[in-house]
Amino acid sequence: MAVSHVAPNVPESVYAMYQLTFAVITAALIVGAVVERMRFSALLWFIGMWSVVVYAPIAHWVWEPGGWLAQKGVLDFAGGSVVHINAGVSGLVCAHVLGPRRGYGRESFEPFNLGLTMAGAGLLWVGWFGFNAGSAVAADGRAGLAMAVTHIAASAGALAWMVGEWVVRGRPSLLGLCSGLVAGLVAITPAAGFVTPSAALAIGAIAGLTCYWGATGLKRILNADDSLDVFGVHGIGGIVGALLTGVFASKTISGVHGDIAVQLLGVVAVVVYSGVMSAVLLWVTKVIVGLRVDDSSEVTGLDVTQHREHLGS
Amino acid sequence: MLPSEKLAIAAHLHVLLRRKTGRVTDTEWMAHNAEYATEIVRFARRSAHEDGHIELVDWADKLEQAMVVGAPPGMLARRPLPQAVTGAGGLLAALVSQVDGAAEVDVPRYVRGLR
Repeated sequence: MAVSHVAPNVPESVYAMYQLTFAVITAALIVGAVVERMRFSALLWFIGMWSVVVYAPIAHWVWEPGGWLAQKGVLDFAGGSVVHINAGVSGLVCAHVLGPRRGYGRESFEPFNLGLTMAGAGLLWVGWFGFNAGSAVAADGRAGLAMAVTHIAASAGALAWMVGEWVVRGRPSLLGLCSGLVAGLVAITPAAGFVTPSAALAIGAIAGLTCYWGATGLKRILNADDSLDVFGVHGIGGIVGALLTGVFASKTISGVHGDIAVQLLGVVAVVVYSGVMSAVLLWVTKVIVGLRVDDSSEVTGLDVTQHREHLGS
Repeated sequence: MLPSEKLAIAAHLHVLLRRKTGRVTDTEWMAHNAEYATEIVRFARRSAHEDGHIELVDWADKLEQAMVVGAPPGMLARRPLPQAVTGAGGLLAALVSQVDGAAEVDVPRYVRGLR
């Protein structure tokens, strides 16, 4: 039975399938930035090429011990750079290249069902343990601690976002709470195997506040219709988490030392490569099949015009 | 314009939409709420354009004018003319956005962002 040198205690087939879940979720995150206007065929072309040309090399740089960022000492326990910064930057580029949805900035685009948002956030919270604790590649103390800090950071992120929204807007919201917990989860992702519970509390709280800014103030500055705030939450949360990993990584937890300058190098490398290559692949996709649906299809809805089906009655 | 006159226009449009498109609308709310009226005007014009129900255009225009006449003075003057007449919903859409802007001091919910 084959065994990967990266994960010597599990069969390589298991580890490969585990890595596949990271690749899948990263591509899925990007979709949040392009909803309601990108052709389905274009999405398939883009995601297929992106997974090979953008995701795979970055995963290799960071996670394969011989990768150049790993050699530099960049720490990314469960995908802060590989998954979240990568998807966030690519999503932002996609949103810019595609352009805004019709009516963006003038019409109110209400969430379809906040109950489903809450249910999805709950599923994410539980599912995240699989990524973060699983990245210990063992059922041991480090996995347990990764799970604990993940839970703490998610809670801190949810509370921080809620407080921030309460102060700025005068009222807390369910959507804000859900967004904050995701922000905390994103930020603890690169740090999960390297930090103490108290550090996780700080990482989650800082991420909750900065991602709230990312999805509101920064979003207005960037002026892109990043529909579900992929960059505001995953991009900003990933950057905050990567940098704070350099600050809080403790030798007593994992035996490794964090360096914020090295972490910054990792962030810059991923931002530049992901941004440039995503733009190139979008251009290639546009040449092959075109990127956007026509105006009438967008007004009618892509579920009906692209798939001849729709959700609900 | 008297509220009863607005209601009469809304009722005409209601009946026409029911007969021509099968869509059921709320007459009183149409005469009262500019945002709902905007959507009905948009729908009526689209039906007229796509399905050839020309008479819907006249009543959609009348409703739009009725809602504009009933607006506080100077409300549309603040908006540049080309934007006011060529926006997604024409004059009425411009009016609605102005009203929204006046009513909500902070950023309107779900416009230019979810959060």
